[in-house]
Amino acid sequence: MNYTEGQDKDSKNQNMAGSVILSPDLKFIRDIKRLGGETVKKCYQCATCSGICPLSSENSPFPRKEMIMTQLGMKNELFRDSDIWYCHNCNDCSKLCPRGARPGDILGALRAKFIMENSVPRFLGKIVTNPSYTLFAFFIPAFLLFAILVSLGHLSIPDGKIVYSRLFPVESIDLFFSSFVAISLIMYIISLRRFWLRLRKEDNPQTERFGKALIQAVAEFLLHRKFSKCDVNSDRKNGHLMVFYGFVGLFITTSWVAFYYWFFHINTPISLGDPLKWVANTSALLLIIGTLILIANRLKDKNVNSRSSSFDWTFAIIVLLIGLTGLSTEIVRLINITDLAYPLYFIHLLFVFYIIVYFPYSKLAHFGYRLLAITFHKMAGTDVT
Amino acid sequence: MENKVGVYICTDCGIGNSLDIQKLQEAAEKYNPVICKSHPFLCSQDGVNTIKNDIKEKGINKLVIAACSMRVNQDLFDFDPLKYVTERVNLREHVVWTQPANNENTQLMATDYLKMGIIRAQKAEIPEPNISGVERTVLVIGGGIAGISSALSVAEAGYKAILVEKSEQLGGHMRHMHKVFPSEPPYLESKPSDIEEKIRAVENNPNITVYTNSIVTGTEGEPGMFEITICSNDKLVSSSESSDSAEIAKSGPTRYKTPECSEPKKFKVGAIVFAIGWKPYDASKLSEEYDYGKFANVVTNTEFEKMAKKGEIKRPSDGKPVKNALFIQCAGQRDKKHLPYCSSICCMSSLKQAKYIREANSDASAYIIYQQMRTPGLYENFYKSTQDDEGIFLIKGSVLEMSEENDGSISIEIDNSLLGQKMIVKADLVVLATGMVTNMVPDDMQPNNLTEEFIGNIIKKETQDGITEELVPIPVALNLKYRQGPEMPHLKYGFPDSHFICFPYETRRTGIYAAGAAKAPMDAAESETDAVGAALKAIQCIELTAQGKSVHPRSGDMTFPEFRLETCTQCRRCTVECPFGALDEKPDGTPLEHPDRCRRCGTCMGACPQRIISFKDYSVDMISSMLKEIDVPDDEDFPLIVGFICENDAYPAFDIAGINGVQLPPNFRLIRVRCLGSVNLVWITDALSKGVDGVLLIGCKFGDDYQCHFIKGSQMANERLGKVQETLDRLMLEAERIDQVQLPINEYDKLPEILNQFVDKIKEIGPNPFKGF
Repeated sequence: MNYTEGQDKDSKNQNMAGSVILSPDLKFIRDIKRLGGETVKKCYQCATCSGICPLSSENSPFPRKEMIMTQLGMKNELFRDSDIWYCHNCNDCSKLCPRGARPGDILGALRAKFIMENSVPRFLGKIVTNPSYTLFAFFIPAFLLFAILVSLGHLSIPDGKIVYSRLFPVESIDLFFSSFVAISLIMYIISLRRFWLRLRKEDNPQTERFGKALIQAVAEFLLHRKFSKCDVNSDRKNGHLMVFYGFVGLFITTSWVAFYYWFFHINTPISLGDPLKWVANTSALLLIIGTLILIANRLKDKNVNSRSSSFDWTFAIIVLLIGLTGLSTEIVRLINITDLAYPLYFIHLLFVFYIIVYFPYSKLAHFGYRLLAITFHKMAGTDVT
Repeated sequence: MENKVGVYICTDCGIGNSLDIQKLQEAAEKYNPVICKSHPFLCSQDGVNTIKNDIKEKGINKLVIAACSMRVNQDLFDFDPLKYVTERVNLREHVVWTQPANNENTQLMATDYLKMGIIRAQKAEIPEPNISGVERTVLVIGGGIAGISSALSVAEAGYKAILVEKSEQLGGHMRHMHKVFPSEPPYLESKPSDIEEKIRAVENNPNITVYTNSIVTGTEGEPGMFEITICSNDKLVSSSESSDSAEIAKSGPTRYKTPECSEPKKFKVGAIVFAIGWKPYDASKLSEEYDYGKFANVVTNTEFEKMAKKGEIKRPSDGKPVKNALFIQCAGQRDKKHLPYCSSICCMSSLKQAKYIREANSDASAYIIYQQMRTPGLYENFYKSTQDDEGIFLIKGSVLEMSEENDGSISIEIDNSLLGQKMIVKADLVVLATGMVTNMVPDDMQPNNLTEEFIGNIIKKETQDGITEELVPIPVALNLKYRQGPEMPHLKYGFPDSHFICFPYETRRTGIYAAGAAKAPMDAAESETDAVGAALKAIQCIELTAQGKSVHPRSGDMTFPEFRLETCTQCRRCTVECPFGALDEKPDGTPLEHPDRCRRCGTCMGACPQRIISFKDYSVDMISSMLKEIDVPDDEDFPLIVGFICENDAYPAFDIAGINGVQLPPNFRLIRVRCLGSVNLVWITDALSKGVDGVLLIGCKFGDDYQCHFIKGSQMANERLGKVQETLDRLMLEAERIDQVQLPINEYDKLPEILNQFVDKIKEIGPNPFKGF
């Protein structure tokens, strides 16, 4: 059953008496198990997880509710559930689960599954979420970038001072990325809208307007306020915060570079004394250190509290690599190793493509979904603060 | 028998420090013992040797050992019961450990106990065991897994077994099982049954004789030498039923119908294992709740198992393969309208069957709707492994409604208590987890609506006193020729009474041991273990009987009730009240003894208004004589109370109180009895007429959760106490002077409260007016 069919069935799944028609989707349960939720069936509904979860409320016994719904293969109901995005995987529940059912991992698997199925176009969701397609996912930008080089005739390493725009002129690279990112953004917005429409189907009471709720949600995001409620994974909060601001900084840097070029005709490389460079390098370091903290945290955990799926691992490594390749590209340029600089730059661009073009289909997509989930809760007045 | 009494007072363990031993010895001397001595350490080798020397040199035959509780040091004070009477006077736990030291009242108590002990020893005689020949063969009724296991165990122990099976084949329900529960670690997978192998083992065992297609039509006699009549099913003579019931209505003594046989076969056995098994609850009674019989695709778990065994898991309505099946747990169980109990196996059974569905089709779904998932012991692992299957859905909830769709599938509305939402499931097949009913229950009867004690029909009868109701018990499998009825009594729901903690195999018919699902709902593995236990109990019974000894709980007791029939008034109380149906009646109405059926509780002795029943070492006269020895003080502020305490639970409870140094009031004189059922009312009147201010009976719990070792003893005592009112009225005494308390062995800490309250109550009533007469 694909997502759209499921959506059509929603109306049929609720009969007059308010009973839900149970027709478990075995494939869905198998997929969840494969995506890191192999313990889902172990849950026996003791509600320890709901008792410990800082985001659980009396009316929404979370994540117990999601556990039983997943066990029963209630895919449609789960995909309408804002709570799977409310969770930020602190894993207190998995730590305390007496049966080893790892509710935290199940929610992670549900999010991965949701991204996979909700994203437009779906085949990209599959390519990005499924680690066995990762190489293919890199092949696409490699092919496209190479095609640009061929068309420009830049097939050999340029001589002289290392200036990366001599390989890819600013115009071509900006056009290339901005067009892809624009498409991605549109796709992302479509995906988010789908999610939002699903959420809004339930007639929740509305106590707050969308705009105001969204602003509050963003404020919370910037401070990672909900993340601080975590006991088990306090390190993770710091790591996540660094990665978050790393990305934010790099986004600013990129815009800044474009601004310099198009408005002031300042060409790269930009001198190290420029404030832009400070922001850029700080952000790169934040990204690398943050990712290292997250990875270390996961290794330290030794799968006791959570079993990271390959989906998670792939993504963490790519984020680390984008930081490392970016920084090395800069260092290699400064110490002037021409033969290494340009290939490294090319590889770095592949990772950049992966992160910024594929983001609606990768783990990064959670950003928007979570923002909407919190906004939704704030609008409904059910947000746990 | 000449009384050569030796009194030995131990002064160790605080006895010597708390009591004036000299005075005690002086008190004992009044009874002219051959020897009366004290010893600083009686349970030492030296102490025991002193006693042994006196036996040798002075010919002592009655030993009064005033020391510790009779429950300790039994290995040291172990003198041949066929030569010597050993009476243990409990000065330690019951006196010095619960009373203040060097106190006048403590001394009085100890003196009374010593005097009573001497009298007890004097009145006791050496038992003369009833030794009779025994047949070292065990009859096993029922050829299911329990019966087969029992017969194999009997044969393995070197005894002969006779296995009688009603149907054509051995194996019972197990033959219809597609798979059975896991029986070895890690308990994850069900497996095919090995019943065929076991049947072959039975058939090839030279020590086992098998009679299939046969039933037991008569069981007579007593353990060690039961006389059994069996009859092949095709040789049964059917008697016309209508004339029978009419006859019952007219004739005097009620008779139940026993099967007649044209070619009976008779043999003797020493003991019987009763393993007649179970039957599924009649699902036609579930048509209202679960539409069984209305919708073609609603079947029971036993029917489903047979389908799986045949390899045809198909919809009965159209023969299409079953893709989705829904199991309803506790169908007609834990439900007052049907089976009020849990059969304990159905959760496992449905988990097992859910796997059949999944094994047949990896896209199939199996739903189990349960109230509580009960998978005892390590079956938990099987539950976990089943739960892990993505296609098996365990749903805690209840079925609200079922409806049949046009294509024959069933739509079930479920109230799910965990999702907080009602849900509807469409299934090809609904399997009802119906429960187990013991085969003790006749087919046309409901387990929740059986007559008390004996399963039967209430028949209205015309007598001189008008129309009376009488219970006519129904013979099922034993056809006992016993006065009390053709089958064993049941406690509840048809299960033959057997205390599952204290004496799991014992029934209320000595020498007959229940095993398997006939006794209580249980699965095959449990039945096998149970059957081995019952087989060993049966062998134990044969061997004890051969030595003239009693079985549980007075194992090894060689006395038995003796009847002075000259003064019997044929009141039949003893034959009616015996909890074990040990007594039949002679044509003249006097009791017909069957000493080997007896458990030696003395309930008959307590019942007999003529006091004609006694044991060699326990009699009405003995206790009456002991009561006479009590020194009742004249002090009106010091009520003296006689406590009759059951030696099974109350006596050890007092011991534990002593061990824990619990202080008890000094007003009690405790007399141990075999069971409160053996308390004869004459003892109460004897005590009261002597000036004793109150009498307290302390014994085991009775009722549904009884703890009485003789099942009905404490209950009987309670009923009799209700009647003692009349006697008290005659004596112009208050009924409140007599009371009975139920005391579990572990509640020793409640003794001070119980005893003090009773003392206060007696103080309030005032002294016995007979005091000083």
